[in-house]
Amino acid sequence: MTAKSAQRSVALSITGLSKSFAGVRAIDNLSFEVPEGRAVALIGPNGAGKTTVFNMVSGVYPVDCGTIAVNGVDVTHMPSRKRIAAGVARSFQNIRLMAHLSVLDNLLVGQHRRNASIAAMLTPYRLVPSHRWKREALQALAESGLEAYAKENVGALPYGVRKRIDLVRATLAGANVLMLDEPAAGLNPTETNALRGDLQALKARGLTLLVVEHDMHFVDSVCENVVVLNFGQKIAEGPLSTVRQDRLVREAYLGVEEEA
Amino acid sequence: MVSQQIVNGLMLGSIYMLVAVAFTLAIGVLNFLNFSIPGLFMVGGMAAYGGVKLGLHWSLAFAGALALAALISLAVERLAYRPMQGGDPEAPLVSSLGFLVLLENLMLIRYGSDQQAFPPLLADMNLRIGDLVIGMAQLASLALSIALVVWLSWFLSATNSGRRIRTVAESGETAVLLGVNMSSLAPRLFVGSAMLAATAGILFAVNYQQVSPFMGEGVGFKGVAAMIVGGMGSIWGAVLGGLLIGMIEVLSISVIGANVVNITVYGLLLLILILRPQGLIGRPPSREKL
Amino acid sequence: MSGYLTGVLVTLSFNIIAAYAVYLPIAAGQLNLGIAGFMAIGAYAAAFLTNEMSWPIWAAVLVSAGLAGSVGLMIGLPVLRTHGIYLAMATFALGQVISAVFLNLEVVGGAAGYPVAAYAPPNIVFAAAAGVVGFMLLLSTTRFALYLTAVKSDPTVADLLGVSVRGIQAAAFTLGAMVAGFGGALYAHHYSFIEAQHFNVMLSVFPVLYVLFGGTQTVLGPLVGALFFTLAPEWLRASAEWRYALFALFIILFMAARPQGLVTMSLFRLFGRRKPQVTT
Ligand SMILES: Nc1ncnc2c1ncn2[C@@H]1O[C@H](COP(=O)(O)OP(=O)(O)OP(=O)(O)O)[C@@H](O)[C@H]1O
Ligand SMILES: [Mg+2]
Repeated sequence: MTAKSAQRSVALSITGLSKSFAGVRAIDNLSFEVPEGRAVALIGPNGAGKTTVFNMVSGVYPVDCGTIAVNGVDVTHMPSRKRIAAGVARSFQNIRLMAHLSVLDNLLVGQHRRNASIAAMLTPYRLVPSHRWKREALQALAESGLEAYAKENVGALPYGVRKRIDLVRATLAGANVLMLDEPAAGLNPTETNALRGDLQALKARGLTLLVVEHDMHFVDSVCENVVVLNFGQKIAEGPLSTVRQDRLVREAYLGVEEEA
Repeated sequence: MVSQQIVNGLMLGSIYMLVAVAFTLAIGVLNFLNFSIPGLFMVGGMAAYGGVKLGLHWSLAFAGALALAALISLAVERLAYRPMQGGDPEAPLVSSLGFLVLLENLMLIRYGSDQQAFPPLLADMNLRIGDLVIGMAQLASLALSIALVVWLSWFLSATNSGRRIRTVAESGETAVLLGVNMSSLAPRLFVGSAMLAATAGILFAVNYQQVSPFMGEGVGFKGVAAMIVGGMGSIWGAVLGGLLIGMIEVLSISVIGANVVNITVYGLLLLILILRPQGLIGRPPSREKL
Repeated sequence: MSGYLTGVLVTLSFNIIAAYAVYLPIAAGQLNLGIAGFMAIGAYAAAFLTNEMSWPIWAAVLVSAGLAGSVGLMIGLPVLRTHGIYLAMATFALGQVISAVFLNLEVVGGAAGYPVAAYAPPNIVFAAAAGVVGFMLLLSTTRFALYLTAVKSDPTVADLLGVSVRGIQAAAFTLGAMVAGFGGALYAHHYSFIEAQHFNVMLSVFPVLYVLFGGTQTVLGPLVGALFFTLAPEWLRASAEWRYALFALFIILFMAARPQGLVTMSLFRLFGRRKPQVTT
């Protein structure tokens, strides 16, 4: 418990993390922290290992070595299912909404963490007109201006809309740390602006964000700090404006996103 | 006498083995649990019987039965496999079972539901080694089954077509990227797997001298069991599983009694699935990527 | 009601119960090809309780359903470690083993079969089927039903959202086994005679066909599938010996044209948004 109170201000802390796939190092001795209430971007070229970090934090992949702590609790060996209760939720690079469910139903599944009792599972809530759960999910949709899609099947929706719904679902578990994997990828400028608004609203609510993103304008407008990965190693860390001057970063990004 | 039982077990096992290989081709390469295979097994036996009854020479009757099974299998590919690509993984089960029911009922209409006696081909030619009696038909069938499997495994490892098939088995997507033409490969695999099943049906008819419209069910389901016990998608797994299941069936009938066959055979299958789902010589399934 | 009609409706009732026994695990992405085994457990246990212990039918039926469920849970836990085709095969093997065990169990008649003294009249059977349908409709309005679809649709993400995938699957499997046992127990008391050979592969497989034909996306699919599979062959009676062949041909052509089954979500949408599914 002393460890917990000492680290209270750190929402997510990664120490000495490594992971190999078939002998190839995807993540190499990576350490960084995300302070409570801040937004940090995890950037790097394609294949740098960003999604792999998310997968280890959320428990999809076991770590080879290193530790992961969420809100001061070591989750390194916690089953993936329990990590959302420890306070970390995520979205997916390749949108993983449940295709046969409506938008609203996807969001209701997202609420599970806060309604996990047997009694909640067996409540015939669909018989109740405007049940609390439904109102809450619709409210969250409305805050992103997406309420018109509530009854649609997710399979038929435009990419940008699905991407943003994936984000809304991640927020509904009540986790205080959100990991967003390329939330702006594939969005048109209007949608990107709306997304920026969504993320700023989340920050205003005190949530902690770890964002993987290739769009540096977007990163600049949302995140205070960036961590740069290349071949699984951290090559720079700090405010974007500083990191941008870094020689290693320039080499890693040669030809990529060098405007502005 | 135990050695006689072993010979009988091997014989039965070699039939299961062919059916198991037929299943394994469909599931290992195309990821399709093809329940029309028991029907094609039955078509092999029944159509051969029908041909012989019409007065055809046995070789013509057999060839006709194989051709018929191949044609039906092409229809299965068209109607049960192709339209289901990308849908629910269970959906093809319905139509392939539909084919089983269809074939059984067509044969029922033509020949009635009773067991029919299949005329003996190599009647009283038996090989005697001490007390051991081995029918020539048994011996010929065993040799043929083994030759077929050996040829198939050579074909898969040494020819270009075989390598293409194995690429598809590894990963359908990669295979398409490498330029494998699935819409011409799939029908050929269906024909191949139908030929194996129908051959097994003919061998069954010749050896046990009886056929019926429902002969495919028992053998077909044991063929599935054999495939999984050995290891899904592996030809030699199907061989091992087939022989093992045949042996266990014959031995448990002679040692305990006919009523326990399903307990021992399917008990073994259940045990394998719980302890070693990849089968005796199969590889474990890989994990998904996010 | 004429004897013929009653007979058809009784068959329909048993088919509906069997279809929902299969639907529960399928809705969570697990194909149970051994439902006949759980029917056998329900049938033999209930028959034993009324025959040898003089229990009233209702108590025997309920306890046997519970027993089939518990066996489902006990055997299901190790079996549910497997996935996809392996799971389907494991349940298939399980069904075969269970009915073969009854074939060898002399206390309940062994291979000779087991007569059942107490009788459940058609009305009881109808009421039971209606009860199962009502229960399923109610269940479909809960989070549990939602999680069944979620677990089927994307188990990895369901797990990351905190849903216990194995818990949901085990619950669906157990509930399905219970419903199957319930149907089997009633079957024994309606037809007054059971034999192990009745609980064979085809008895397991046909309800799967009803469900996949009707469609797995909605709770009404199994009902529609069971209705169709029971009534259509009756309509085809005129062409007596051809009827199953024609029927099989129809199924093949139908599934080729509509692989997702008859009743789907989008079908609901087509027939207006009046469905109380989502109320704002
Ligand atoms: N399950 C896996 N098996 C094998 N290799 C993997 C697996 N997951 C990731 N990798 C490898 O690890 C490396 C890092 O992949 P990762 O997906 O984390 O990159 P990324 O930084 O998210 O890239 P992108 O910007 O393209 O999303 C890549 O070389 C990838 O091929
Ligand atoms: Mg990535």
